[in-house]
Amino acid sequence: MKFDIIIIGGGLSGLTAGIALAEAGKDVALVSAGQSSLHFGSGSLDLLGCDEKGNDIYKPLDAIKAVNSKHQYNKLEDVSSLAGVAKQLLERAGIATTGNITSNHWRITPIGGLMPTWLSMEGMATIEDPDQMPWRKVALVNIINYLDFPTKFLASGLRDKGVEVDVKAVSLPELQKLRQSPTEMRSSNIAKVIESNELIVKLAEEVYKVAGEGYDMVLLPAVLGMTNSEKSQQLLKLIKVPARYVATLPPSVPGVRMQTMLRKRFTALGGTFFTGDQVTEGLFEDNILKGVKTAKLDGTTLEADNFILATGSFMSRGLKADYNRVYEPALGVDVDDLGLDRKTWAKIDVTDAQPYMEMGVKTDENLRCMRNGTTISNLFAVGSILSGHNSIKRLDAGGVDMLTALQVANNIIK
Amino acid sequence: MTTVNNNHYDVIVIGGGITGAGTARDCAMRGLKVLLVERHDFSTGATGRNHGLMHSGARYAVTDHESAKECIQENMILRKIAKHCVEETDGLFITLPEDDINFQATFVQKCTEAGISAEIIDPKQAILMEPSVNPELIGAVKVPDASIDPFRLTMANVLDAQLHGAEVLVYHEVIDVIIEQDRMVGVKLRNNHNGETLDAYATVTVNAAGIWGALIAQMAGVKINMFPAKGSLLIFGHRVNHMVINRCRKPANADILVPDDAVCVIGTTSLRIPIEECDDMRVTPEEVEELLAEGMKLAPSLGSTRILRGYAGVRPLVASDDDPSGRSISRGIVTLDHEKRDGLAGFITITGGKMMTYRLMAEEVTNLVCQKLNINKSCETATTPLPGSEPKEETKRFSFSQKAAQGRHGTLNDTIERGEAANDALVCECEGVSVGEVRYAVTKLHVHNLINLRRRTRVGMGTCQGELCACRAAGVMCNDDKSAQKAINDLNGFINERWKGMQPVAWGDNLAEAQLTATIYQSLLGVDKLANERRIEYYEI
Repeated sequence: MKFDIIIIGGGLSGLTAGIALAEAGKDVALVSAGQSSLHFGSGSLDLLGCDEKGNDIYKPLDAIKAVNSKHQYNKLEDVSSLAGVAKQLLERAGIATTGNITSNHWRITPIGGLMPTWLSMEGMATIEDPDQMPWRKVALVNIINYLDFPTKFLASGLRDKGVEVDVKAVSLPELQKLRQSPTEMRSSNIAKVIESNELIVKLAEEVYKVAGEGYDMVLLPAVLGMTNSEKSQQLLKLIKVPARYVATLPPSVPGVRMQTMLRKRFTALGGTFFTGDQVTEGLFEDNILKGVKTAKLDGTTLEADNFILATGSFMSRGLKADYNRVYEPALGVDVDDLGLDRKTWAKIDVTDAQPYMEMGVKTDENLRCMRNGTTISNLFAVGSILSGHNSIKRLDAGGVDMLTALQVANNIIK
Repeated sequence: MTTVNNNHYDVIVIGGGITGAGTARDCAMRGLKVLLVERHDFSTGATGRNHGLMHSGARYAVTDHESAKECIQENMILRKIAKHCVEETDGLFITLPEDDINFQATFVQKCTEAGISAEIIDPKQAILMEPSVNPELIGAVKVPDASIDPFRLTMANVLDAQLHGAEVLVYHEVIDVIIEQDRMVGVKLRNNHNGETLDAYATVTVNAAGIWGALIAQMAGVKINMFPAKGSLLIFGHRVNHMVINRCRKPANADILVPDDAVCVIGTTSLRIPIEECDDMRVTPEEVEELLAEGMKLAPSLGSTRILRGYAGVRPLVASDDDPSGRSISRGIVTLDHEKRDGLAGFITITGGKMMTYRLMAEEVTNLVCQKLNINKSCETATTPLPGSEPKEETKRFSFSQKAAQGRHGTLNDTIERGEAANDALVCECEGVSVGEVRYAVTKLHVHNLINLRRRTRVGMGTCQGELCACRAAGVMCNDDKSAQKAINDLNGFINERWKGMQPVAWGDNLAEAQLTATIYQSLLGVDKLANERRIEYYEI
């Protein structure tokens, strides 16, 4: 099978590149193992949230200009324009967002913290200025027995910022079944139960009963809408008072929704999606990648003019570490392990900047991968698999994923 | 100055490890008025940092007949009184091509002399019995080793002490002793949560503080020659073996592999360290290498099994009193009557020994306490089942979490609230811990923080090392805004404590898991930013 471009990895970076290339009329195939770090997300995408000292960044565009020389943002031609393209790409996939590159806004974390972010999915509670809470009195409405929305922490966090908070909980008879099985009260299961219009209306009534009067904001766990934003938006409208969602512990329903909608957009554009599969081998000739083999397409070689590696970092298994070395398991491209010995990959205090976080595949100025020190002319890497950034400390995962993907799409189209 | 309940006790027991807990139980059962004090949580010292091996005594049979005999006797007793803490796995002593097969005959003979059943097994048969064992073995002997949960065992002893009227203060550290003329009459305690100090008085004070007992003795102006020996161990992510596997040779490093619950543990290394290092021991990369290399000789599949974490404990080795050079180490139980030894009445130290013989140690020291108090009552701890192990008709358990809790709490499982969805909701999916079990632990088992909770319920001990359950459990444990901030600090501490054990083995799946945990707790939740206190309890492995 032959394509213009083959993308390895179906998370945010792989799908972004796939959509951008398919929109440009390319014949694109994507091989995905299935899971994505979006499933552990917040319903927001971060661009650059914190400076070197860990302080919140208010104006990310200025801060991006000052990132250190190893950061992948240095390989972007025009950050500002790429950021605009990213927002529009999401919009065309049906994912409306608030936020822009000139100013960060703040998301509310599931335990009541405020974190600077770039784009938030519609319906998520956001705050423009962390020093000035927009609400006087808030009702936190959980679903009875749902443990992954820690309302006590959320309430305490909001009260610390001067907001009056009441904690309420509602349920529906349809959720009783889930409650009977102790492992079932998880976000994705709740989302699957509350699918029909009838239940959305009923849930809105229950919420209105406990939080209809006297609150200027009702905050709900983001547990609705795995495949589109229709249901979650409908509920907010039906509640009749201002209401927004706050992220829960994983799995993140908004994150799953984002991945699902991007995938739909990709296939609607004619992209080919090989799901539940993974690349096992690359067929290199000179400095060119000719094709890849996968675990499931027995014997078949997938060929293309260009390839994009978007398999993520350690937690996504895009990078692996064994006793002695860090390596990239799919194609065996060169990895920047910062020249460190295993004993120094990780630091003793978990909150320190961990060296392993910055490890990733080596790329040239056009984001092309290398093998044994030589650049492979038609193999690019995008997203978290890239070296040189620590998304835990700097809060830049969403930006690195989307903007490097768009840059590579541009590099290929050129 | 406040005193505890303005009361005078017959005996104060210092140390919430298995020896202290067992001593408190024995004293209380003999009708004494007991106060048990512990500076941190129960089982934070050597008790909580070993293999979890219930020795048959075979390991000591050749080198130390006395210890071997004590072990097998106590082994048989614990099977009866601590059923819910013990898993009867049996053990193998294997001979590898590099070992001397002639040792086996001596070994079997010495085992038999000590009363330990030791049955020579054909190597092929041994592989069928224990498929994970190194297939190159040339000899195998089956012995009645077993697996034991030290956290559970300690808690059961504490609970029984309390049932017999003992008072218990955790997070209360002895900061000084109170001496009047030539008699110790009590101790000064500091509440490690709020810094307040208080005095407690007793006729006899028992020092059961493990290696830290040397420091307690020092406060009393008494010298005990202790040699802290650090032992490091590794926990693997699943249970590779179902029998204990030992090497059939003289005891050496990393030659015991024990199945514990859903995991297995290899250990230990042995390294003399200064006493100052005992509060913050870390597993070094060299120790990891040695443990892995030796462990793979017992069960080769360890090489491809995920290591969950590394941890280190410290053996309280004591120099024999009759050896002025201090070089001759006593491996047995050491009871020091400081009245006779040093002219300080009202003070006794119980040390040496091993977890296996805790009950015997408790019996010996309680006998001495009773003698000092002129009380004539015999010891009943060898025949009275611990709470949780009373004979009782098996209740049928249906859910995974009920079965898991039954395993952890034995018959006490019935006191956990169930039936309501609010109680049955699962906090920890790996270990099957329900909201009801968390509440039970908080109200009944002296749980002050998430690390305490882990020791009582196994929350966060599974393969995910607390990925989601820590946050859920913290939510269940907090009641108001004040406790919410404390719970966030606690959560932050818990994540760091889990990392302490993962960091020395941070490669493979562990590194992936660590990155995921950081993504959830730092990027998504921002727990490190919300925590307003960076107190990390390094002793809290």
